[in-house]
Amino acid sequence: MEGEPGNLTLYEGMFLLDNAVVREDWKKAKAVVSDAVLKHGGAVQTSRRFDERRLAYTIRGKNRATYLLAYFEMGGDGLPALRRELELSERVLRYLILRVEQIPAPEIELAQAENAEGFVVPTPPQDDVIEPEAAAPVQETVEDMLAEGEFVEERPRGRRAEKAAEVAP
Amino acid sequence: MSRDRRAPLPMIAGRNCEDSVPEYKNFEALKKFLNGSAQIYSRKRTGYCCQCQKALKQAVKRARHVGFLPFVG
Repeated sequence: MEGEPGNLTLYEGMFLLDNAVVREDWKKAKAVVSDAVLKHGGAVQTSRRFDERRLAYTIRGKNRATYLLAYFEMGGDGLPALRRELELSERVLRYLILRVEQIPAPEIELAQAENAEGFVVPTPPQDDVIEPEAAAPVQETVEDMLAEGEFVEERPRGRRAEKAAEVAP
Repeated sequence: MSRDRRAPLPMIAGRNCEDSVPEYKNFEALKKFLNGSAQIYSRKRTGYCCQCQKALKQAVKRARHVGFLPFVG
């Protein structure tokens, strides 16, 4: 839902940034979004690194991305142009812009903590790194299960048992 | 035992929407409302009212869009 033209509306934006840009410089990566918002007549209120994680599915050939959560004010007439620019940008893999009433208080604190001196943004891992939780579980072999006694050797019953007894000395 | 006589599965959110609907950013909480194929459970299973179920659907769809949750499990 987009705001009326002229009136400034508060929006929440979740932007998926390419990790290659984040590896170069986090401030430059943040500037990709903030410059685009400024260009179309908006003003960024807060922005912070939300997470860096493996994507549930591949987006533009990338398996991992850094999430930037930003709150910005913008007139309704500037939003379509912003959307168009983000669609064309190669550094923004995907975005989600929602209209909100106010900025949550924890978000302001978290954004201030990120802007403080000494805050270091961790370098994103390579695209093909598999997180430990996502790694496939070690499969138990049949030999292991036999050793643990999970399987009981099948014994012949009925006529098969009689025949086996006849054959055996 | 026939399918009709099985005990009903417990509701996830509880009766009368005891829990508020998680936002799309809280994708770990949203995961419990999806089955193995990443489909959203029905109201019968979640225990949400009509409005909350719609909010849940919207949150899951937003989380899928930004890659937090899969479309197909």
